[in-house]
Amino acid sequence: MLRIRVIPCLLLKGRGLVKTTRFKDPQYIGDPINAIKIFNDKEVDELVLLDVLASVEGKGPNFEVIEEIANECFMPVAYGGGITNLEQIRKILKLGIEKVVLNEAAFQHPELISAAAAEFGSQSIVVSMDVKRKLFGKYEVYRARGTKSTGLDPVAFALTVSKLGAGEIFLTAIDRDGTMEGYDLELIKQIARAVPIPVIASGGAGKIGDFREATHCGGASAVAAGAMFVFHGKHRGVLITYPEADALKQAFL
Amino acid sequence: MHYQICVRCVMDTTDAEISFDESGVCSHCKSHEARVAQAPFSQSDAGEKLAALVARIKARAKGEYDCIIGLSGGVDSSYVAYQAIQLGLKPLAVHFDNGWNSELAVKNIERMVKKLNLDLITYVIDWEEFRDIQRSFFKANVIDIEMVTDHAIFAALFKLAKQHKIRYILSGTNVATESIMPKAWQHFKFDLLNLMAIQKKFGQLKVRSYPTISIWHMAWNKYMSGFQSVPILNYLPYKKEEAIATLKAELGWEYYGGKHYESLFTKYYQAHILPKKFGVDKRKVHLSDLIMNGEVTRELALKELEKPPYTESALASDREYICKKLGFSQVEHDAYLNASAVSHFDYPSYAKIAMALVKIYRKVQYN
Repeated sequence: MLRIRVIPCLLLKGRGLVKTTRFKDPQYIGDPINAIKIFNDKEVDELVLLDVLASVEGKGPNFEVIEEIANECFMPVAYGGGITNLEQIRKILKLGIEKVVLNEAAFQHPELISAAAAEFGSQSIVVSMDVKRKLFGKYEVYRARGTKSTGLDPVAFALTVSKLGAGEIFLTAIDRDGTMEGYDLELIKQIARAVPIPVIASGGAGKIGDFREATHCGGASAVAAGAMFVFHGKHRGVLITYPEADALKQAFL
Repeated sequence: MHYQICVRCVMDTTDAEISFDESGVCSHCKSHEARVAQAPFSQSDAGEKLAALVARIKARAKGEYDCIIGLSGGVDSSYVAYQAIQLGLKPLAVHFDNGWNSELAVKNIERMVKKLNLDLITYVIDWEEFRDIQRSFFKANVIDIEMVTDHAIFAALFKLAKQHKIRYILSGTNVATESIMPKAWQHFKFDLLNLMAIQKKFGQLKVRSYPTISIWHMAWNKYMSGFQSVPILNYLPYKKEEAIATLKAELGWEYYGGKHYESLFTKYYQAHILPKKFGVDKRKVHLSDLIMNGEVTRELALKELEKPPYTESALASDREYICKKLGFSQVEHDAYLNASAVSHFDYPSYAKIAMALVKIYRKVQYN
């Protein structure tokens, strides 16, 4: 059986990489090409690359940067950010990217999910959802990098996008992003139980043990991490890392 | 000029300024000897000198850390970190990320910080700006492209030293394995005037966040505010092979094959750009230093020099990566490699005055 996928999630801002904490305070962490070269050599399973400005600033995907990155990546890559139509998806997949991640489009043009799934297959369409925990523990879906509330219930939203044809859900707990305090297991459980498609847990990973919790207790099909793979220690020194294959194998036993 | 090679080391007339005595021994290995003889570790009271230095560093500590160590993932800096811990110092490790890290360098840093329990700060330089300055040095056709990195590392370390109120920077510079360097093969790294002039002439971006430091500022740091860089390896008997063996055994550290090859750019620069464009094979200085340090025989060094610095397949893929990252086409890069070199002194420079001052400084540095 294949091991659970462990996916570094990188945030693109302009031409540089950043890492946020609870979706705020982006810290510059360097050139994406160098980071990807290092992740290549570390033989990571897969990579998620999200352009954090593309939708917010109303720009489309930056194809030039995507191409540079696609050419450098040996591992499968999912790209998200600023995608609003089929033509863009076609172009991105042609550049050598394996999957696209839709987020803003899921609110503005949900029909894009079904159209894209019909044309390219569900396996290449990921829908990402960013969730905040409200007062009294109720969850709510947010959009625009956590700045706009939608009033939507995450379970209902996840069901909707899965019915529309999304192949995977990239589920991020905004409150855990960059904290390295562990995943929001309750949230993962709710979503993974509700939908028939794979859920990638994101937000909060700080140690290998967290991966096991997300999959074994939460029911996630794959795990993503940002800060854990780019920061070291109390000063958060930038240091790209990825667990050794043996350590991962042990973790999921 | 006829070709001549030193009978003791492997320096030769590819350095135009080399001179030989009547028995055929060159000026470089003699200066290696002289510098080693002057270094603290060669003195009879070497132990006391080191103890006094460590005591001074500890005594002047103000906060959590008593010194800063720049970690590149290479042998020298890794060994400095290892020794600092052995000596009971409390270093803050700083890694300077210029966008050219190899996986092995990063992995070595990870092993070091984890095994030695070091706190780490990474100074991540703005890649777009850094790249623009590197591109300018290509366009200027000057030899010392590494000045762009070396200058910024020093400047960044001083900046962080000030921020964290740490007076001592422990550097990996050492006379045992780094004494020999023909003047024409590199430029004075603190020639800020030169760097800015080249960037002004060829650059497209303004220098905003790239860290800089002038020699006047460095002198001020040392003599007025008490911030200084200490070449701690000069206080210890330093052998490269032994350092590598220790790091491997104690920290699981891995060698990357070749001096400074921990950086992808430096590897390409030293093993391809320097020999191809400037007729300089830097392996000669590294090997000559090692011969003088009693680590390599001259015969072995000569054999090493017969090998090409690059395997063909590695060269092709590294070349492609370097061009892509710097934004040069293969054609542009070929034109660059074929264009004649231009001296740093063809651009504004204060290196000559500064070098004269450094010469005086070297005579008094251990007093």
